[in-house]
Amino acid sequence: MRYDFVVIGAGVSGITSAITLAQNGYHVALVEKADRIAPLLRGFSRQGVHFDTGFHYTGGLGAGEPLDIFFRYLGLSEHLTSFSFDEDGFDIFNCENPGFEFKIPTGYAKLQERLGEAFPDERAAIGSYLSQVRATCNALPYLNLDMEIDQNSALQRVLGPTVREKLDSLTENVLLKSLLSTHCLLYGVSCDEVSFAQHASIVGNYYESVRGIRGGGLSLAQACDTRLSKLGVDVFCSSEVAGITVAPGGALSGVRFASGGSLACNAVIATVHPRILLELAPEGTFRPAYRKRLGALEETVSAFMCYAVSNRPIPSLAGANRFLLPDAGCLSDLGRRPIGDAPLYLSAAYRKDEIEPHGFIGICPTLFTETTSWESSRFGKRPEEYRRYKGQCLERMQIQIERAHPDLAGNIQYMEGSTPLTIRDFCNTPLGGLYGVKHMVGQYNPHPTTRIPGLFLAGQAVVSPGVMGAVLSGLLACGTILGHDIMRKELKACC
Amino acid sequence: MTDQEIIEQINSSLAEEFEYALGDMTPDTTLFEEMGLDSLDVVDLVIVLESAFGMKIREEEAIRKIRTLGDIHTFVIDKKRQMESA
Repeated sequence: MRYDFVVIGAGVSGITSAITLAQNGYHVALVEKADRIAPLLRGFSRQGVHFDTGFHYTGGLGAGEPLDIFFRYLGLSEHLTSFSFDEDGFDIFNCENPGFEFKIPTGYAKLQERLGEAFPDERAAIGSYLSQVRATCNALPYLNLDMEIDQNSALQRVLGPTVREKLDSLTENVLLKSLLSTHCLLYGVSCDEVSFAQHASIVGNYYESVRGIRGGGLSLAQACDTRLSKLGVDVFCSSEVAGITVAPGGALSGVRFASGGSLACNAVIATVHPRILLELAPEGTFRPAYRKRLGALEETVSAFMCYAVSNRPIPSLAGANRFLLPDAGCLSDLGRRPIGDAPLYLSAAYRKDEIEPHGFIGICPTLFTETTSWESSRFGKRPEEYRRYKGQCLERMQIQIERAHPDLAGNIQYMEGSTPLTIRDFCNTPLGGLYGVKHMVGQYNPHPTTRIPGLFLAGQAVVSPGVMGAVLSGLLACGTILGHDIMRKELKACC
Repeated sequence: MTDQEIIEQINSSLAEEFEYALGDMTPDTTLFEEMGLDSLDVVDLVIVLESAFGMKIREEEAIRKIRTLGDIHTFVIDKKRQMESA
């Protein structure tokens, strides 16, 4: 049997690609290394509390907004129930020095008003920043279905200016600049490296609206299971691809599995990390310049994460995430601060069917080099010294969290942690990048098209991380194959 | 670096990175028709030049206008001279 398409990797970008192609009548196989599709979305449970590892909240899912349209197009919406985060403050920015708290509301107008109240002398800068974020978002193909695809639009995100340069040009207020850069923690790149255009394309959606999904990432993964099955996509789990095969004439012919066996196909969409792609592509098919570029792509910061269960509900974490910042300058050089004195992101975790959180996830940007001395060890077989390191990190994190949330002191009954090594092994990022390959000024990330006829790329490296970035990358790859005009027309029919 | 040294370095870097015969490279060689590069390769071209000469290339308009190997020579020589006089 020969497939029209094999999609490598059943994360959100791979699933989006497989569904889109199947909906267009193609015979599609979706192959995944893990034992189930969307492993990151599924998360895990401890002591009755479910911890989301891949999805916490998203922008752009409000009625008629881009992700809502995409989910409807993909046939996922009917299986999902979304809910709004607190519109009065979906994220709470909490700076220790100087002491300053700010609730970030949804809606551009509301946000502009509240920022203006907190920084009355900076109203002009705030207005300019927000209108530029909005204009950048509105000019992006697919986020705005009326925009034409411009092959060079990706260049804007590489050429700059950076977020820091943009903010420096608008204001001298350090606290305001820090507040407006906070969301760099959502994509793991410091404000001095990420382009303003890339930042705007992500945060602009959050400024519009912020929503979660009932049942979290697991519900989204289950909706994908249902949809793929209904469309007749052949899903191969526990199937690691070892190589892409090419016929003597240079056309793509199939994929072969690490365990032996192969699938014949006419085309492939690969959603793997670009460095892993280089291992899959037959020698001599990519030029040295391309190989070097992909091989040299920098990854985002890694992270130390904690998963905690509280013996009583934590109302202060319901409906909003917390950003704990030790000081206003801590968002530069992400990952270089010691744990306990670094920025920390807190997101609520729930027991099944409960509205009040009973736990939380904490994410602290950390460099992969923190754990390189144990990098040859594997999950479940780490040495004692590594466990001690983890214990110390957890202790420092707990002190920082309890300082900001005294109501938690004495109530945390369970706490476990994961390190950059865990991320490397579970997210398949060779250097432990929490969000995979960086999007930053001066770094040229891969395009959906490659030199191998029939080989296309999707995944966070192409567009941006997060569910929105992954879905966009899948649609972009399929648009490259099917024709962007056709894709846009189909998507518009779901508006 | 003299202009001639710059040109030689450009040619040898491009020959290696894009697998093109050094002997076939003249200033009139067209990148897209004769060297077989396409729009996807422009990014790699920029990166090869950046690393060969330790420069950051941000002149998007100028890059888009490049058609021949000679255009690259002129672009890099001009940029190198600007860097030296800055």
